[in-house]
Amino acid sequence: MDSRLGSVAVEIIVNGEKRAAVAEPRMLLSDFLRHGLGLTGTHVGCEQGVCGACTVLIDGQPARSCLTFAVQVEGAQVETVEGMAKAGELSDIQQAYRSAHGLQCGFCTPGFLASTQALLQENPDPTDEQIREYLSGNVCRCTGYQGIVAAVRSAADARKASSHGS
Amino acid sequence: MKPAKFDYYRPYSVPEAIEVLSSHPDSKVLAGGQSLIPLMNMRLATPAALVDISRIEGLSGIDTNGGLRLGATTRQSDVLGNAVIQQRWPLITSAVVHVGHPATRARGTFGGSIAHADPAAELSAVMLVLDASFGVQGPAGSRSVSAEGFFLGHYTTELAEDELLVEIKIPDISGWYWGFGEIVRRHGDYALAGVAASLRADEAGLVTDARIALFAVAHRPVRSSAAEARLVGTRLGDPAAADEAGRVALDGVEVADDSFVSATYRREAAASVVKRVVREAATNSRSGTDGQ
Amino acid sequence: MQRVEDPRLLAGRGRFVDDVAFPGMLHAAFVRSPHAHARIVSVDASAALAVDGVLAVYTAKDVDWLAPLVSSGPMRDDVCVQSRTPLAASTARHVGDPVAVVVARSPYLAEDGRDLVDVEWDALPPVVDPLQALEPDSPLVDEELGTNNICHAEQSAGDVDAAFADADYVTSIRFHSGRSTAAPIEGRGVVAEYEDRGGGRYNIYSSTQMPHLLRMFIAPVLGVPAGRVTIKAPDVGGAFGLKCTVFPEDIVIPAVARLSGHPVKWIEDRWENLAAGVHSKDMVCTMEIAAKADGTMTAFRGRFVTDSGAYSSVPFSPLVDSQVAGVYLSSCYDVQNVAYSIDNPLTNKCQIGAVRGVGWVPGQLAREVAIDRLARTMGKDPVELRLQNMIGPEVYTTPFGQTYDGGSYAAALEQARDAVDYAEFRQRQLRAREDGRYLGVGFSPFVEPTGWASASAAAGGMPIPFFDTASVTVETDGSVTVTTGLHSDGQGHETTLAQVTADELGVAMDSVRIVYGDTDSSVFGMGTYASRSAVLGFGSIRESAGQVRDRLTRIAASLLEADPSDIDLVDGVARVKGVPDKSVPLQQIALFGYFGGTARPDDIQRDGLTATAGYDPGETYANGCAAAVVEVDVETGLVTIEQLAAVEDCGVVLNPTIVKGQVAGAIANGIGIALLEELAYEDNGEFISGNLINYLYPSTTEVPSLTLHSIETPSAVSAGGVKGVGEAGTIAAPAAIVNAITDALSPFGITIEKTPVTPEYLRQLLRAADHDRNKLVGA
Repeated sequence: MDSRLGSVAVEIIVNGEKRAAVAEPRMLLSDFLRHGLGLTGTHVGCEQGVCGACTVLIDGQPARSCLTFAVQVEGAQVETVEGMAKAGELSDIQQAYRSAHGLQCGFCTPGFLASTQALLQENPDPTDEQIREYLSGNVCRCTGYQGIVAAVRSAADARKASSHGS
Repeated sequence: MKPAKFDYYRPYSVPEAIEVLSSHPDSKVLAGGQSLIPLMNMRLATPAALVDISRIEGLSGIDTNGGLRLGATTRQSDVLGNAVIQQRWPLITSAVVHVGHPATRARGTFGGSIAHADPAAELSAVMLVLDASFGVQGPAGSRSVSAEGFFLGHYTTELAEDELLVEIKIPDISGWYWGFGEIVRRHGDYALAGVAASLRADEAGLVTDARIALFAVAHRPVRSSAAEARLVGTRLGDPAAADEAGRVALDGVEVADDSFVSATYRREAAASVVKRVVREAATNSRSGTDGQ
Repeated sequence: MQRVEDPRLLAGRGRFVDDVAFPGMLHAAFVRSPHAHARIVSVDASAALAVDGVLAVYTAKDVDWLAPLVSSGPMRDDVCVQSRTPLAASTARHVGDPVAVVVARSPYLAEDGRDLVDVEWDALPPVVDPLQALEPDSPLVDEELGTNNICHAEQSAGDVDAAFADADYVTSIRFHSGRSTAAPIEGRGVVAEYEDRGGGRYNIYSSTQMPHLLRMFIAPVLGVPAGRVTIKAPDVGGAFGLKCTVFPEDIVIPAVARLSGHPVKWIEDRWENLAAGVHSKDMVCTMEIAAKADGTMTAFRGRFVTDSGAYSSVPFSPLVDSQVAGVYLSSCYDVQNVAYSIDNPLTNKCQIGAVRGVGWVPGQLAREVAIDRLARTMGKDPVELRLQNMIGPEVYTTPFGQTYDGGSYAAALEQARDAVDYAEFRQRQLRAREDGRYLGVGFSPFVEPTGWASASAAAGGMPIPFFDTASVTVETDGSVTVTTGLHSDGQGHETTLAQVTADELGVAMDSVRIVYGDTDSSVFGMGTYASRSAVLGFGSIRESAGQVRDRLTRIAASLLEADPSDIDLVDGVARVKGVPDKSVPLQQIALFGYFGGTARPDDIQRDGLTATAGYDPGETYANGCAAAVVEVDVETGLVTIEQLAAVEDCGVVLNPTIVKGQVAGAIANGIGIALLEELAYEDNGEFISGNLINYLYPSTTEVPSLTLHSIETPSAVSAGGVKGVGEAGTIAAPAAIVNAITDALSPFGITIEKTPVTPEYLRQLLRAADHDRNKLVGA
């Protein structure tokens, strides 16, 4: 049995890199990423498990980092928004959000991007209804979701087109 | 909105978990954390210790050989994505879709939802109508508790402080018809009222067994014996029988009332859902979409 | 066009207030009242201070050197002036009212300390009902004021009494617009540092939408000149009006940074955001319409009582709801006899502040619901009745003296009607009823003052001089820097304002940088709210950039030996018209502008290539119409929005993508107001909506795919004909939805009298209707 009784070093693989910081057991993964590791791209909107702004991928699955203690995911693979753009190039999903005006203030965006990535992995060709259902756990106060649904649709379509082409 | 301090234990076996639960009076089991951690963030729960059971070998897993056996820490998303469950126990799949959102289902566990015993939880009601039994381990050994005897009230179950829910067993339901419905204001929210149903009919099409469970209605998931009694002997799919089941469904049920939803509303909404779910059940046999 | 701000936001490289950290920074948590109304007997911080890592606990006594925060309202003599101490000193007036602040090494420890501060309370009778608060025997929320009513005001035009006396039909409704709020995904937050030099200065990061006004209001409370306060608001995660209020925390955090000798950060949590930010739109309305037998509406009379909460908010006061509900009463209708009264009773709830759509939303609900009622009473079609009474498209002065700058009032309604296939819908509605399905359609045409500036504010009864400035500099290399006091919290100013500047100067957009959100580097401005930034930003930039353009043109003319009137600035070069090979690049013009010595005109020698200009336009008004098609499940009371169409006329559109985004977001908010969002208090003043499990945002599954149309009627008064957008959908959508639900349930004859229209409320109405019907059958 492992026990964590005070502040201890917690090691997590974040965006492919082993990262460690000292944390109490009660430290939320969201705070660990943001303040322990300086990865402030993950945003915190409610800490009540509702808004989805803090969504990251844990071992490839979407998760609310405000509903996860950092110690729970010791040794796991965590992907944050900082890992999406490669060499300064926005990923196809990020670019789709830009092209479809899928963001305004940008605060909820990292959570939407994580959920979108998980959705398209699970279901590469979702219907609009499936997109809406999958993303219903992420809330956006700016866009009215029109641009967001369009962005996911266009990212899926573009992937489909490029896989047909190859 | 940050949780209070606690000690964190991560056992790797069930006996270890029980040992630490027994020796720490103010401890709580942490599985996926999707119900517990919001309460801790809001400091509505301040356990002195958490026992993280998520890495106990063998405590998660899906076994569909004969009946269905789910390890307690099986993630809700894994249940949702399991094709055999969808085919043989479609009621479970239909219900899990309504449990939270992809991000909470990927962490949240099947057993966690049951042990948390939120009266609005979909899965608890489904367990009642599928006649599930729960494997429980404690310092005194193992025991099995039927779903019927498990849910005692608001967030209260038959589990003792130092007992652990380890598995959920659900019999094969070949030949049963099923239905599920709930009233929610937004997709994925806690229901204002909900119903799970399973029905069996004889060769003449007359209902021989009916199990109707209500959730988000009383202070715990409850069977509606009045609706069940009304349905037995009626023709499966008879809309008048469904209406009648809805009409009486709340008889004898003590309906909960809170600042947001009145008992009167819950009664009406639940009755309406019973009616619809029973009607729909006639078209849902075990294979879900009837060979489509 | 792709937005300039998106790459950093998409890559997680935005800088929001919680992303800011200073060395040695401490974290604050507020101790807040759990009571609606209670005297503070004592505060014992000893247990909190015993926690390792808790450094200090401050109460009102520790910050008694602060001046009070004073709400004087919108520069009107008839509005009570209310003062408050930033931390409640003797009395807490609503759940969430801050009474002490804990400063600790981490946010976790600060909350540990907060939970251990022992406040002894003496509960006082709470004032919860706004109408009872107006009764002479009501307990007072703020005894210093001697009244609960922040303002009573009345206004009338024409002869309203005569019109009602002569009416063939009178419709009268009561409508309670529910209490909702902005709840941006990023809450409020303040990080403050005090530098003990030069008499002391504060360096503050804040999630605000009005950096300069925030500075103007907090500097005197902190006791320093405004120049010793810097407000930085880099990226702001949504605001919707919530963040154009001056809050106690905006003062307390800088104050305790000074007291503790450390930078201090406070990041609001969601409970605080919902309990102790600002609330909005909680208004008890009565609306009466007088009409002639032919359908001519002859008079409107309204009474608007805003449940103002415990404090008159700074700077806009509760009049931001009540006043604007009243003064725009006639909207797009040719009704010449109008009267309203407003009251603003204080209650033991969270203060009312400016939130997207403000009092226009309740005002619109009251009027448009009443017009539908009138149509039903008269057996007239609600669209025809509205069209029959609508003003023309030309410039129009309302009975209360607002001068509309031209609009597509009737055309917008007709387009919305066509967008939902109105005639076909009525057939479909009848067929559906035969199957026991209840569909309904509702319309809500609106006029909204935008481009909020001195003239429009005065015409709206909020006579504060509003204006803005912009400073445009063509740098030595020909790139362009613009500073503005407007702020962007999602609106995309870095794109739209760069586009405006680039058009004016004939340069590429990516050579323009927009600087905002920092009182040290931006020119003074009033901030972004009230759908004002397109008009004010465009006007101030066009003026200042125009002055620079004139200088560039004259330099180019002398370099090219041409007449200035023959110079075109296009694509970063100056060309002589008709002589394509005679050109000079902007970079060369700029260099000459700075270093061309005495060969330059005198004014350029003096001013270089910087021009600062202000803009204070005349009144601009956007208009449009929302139409909703809904289905109501009569057994469960659930409402599904099948279609929501909106026609928007915000004058000349600067950026269609951004305008559409604003309209869509505003409509989503309107859907929330109509059906979901409710900040609820118990009868004893206890607050029960402090989380997003109870306070329901619309999500992807509640906002349908929207039908958005646009009409462009250029403003007759503003620069470029721009009118502004941002609140329109929030104003229009709720009334359209409520009217659609009522229409769907017309066989039952129900009357909706409040928002949000919850399943529970609809079932109540349907139960009562059933009961009435059974009684009739029985009789």
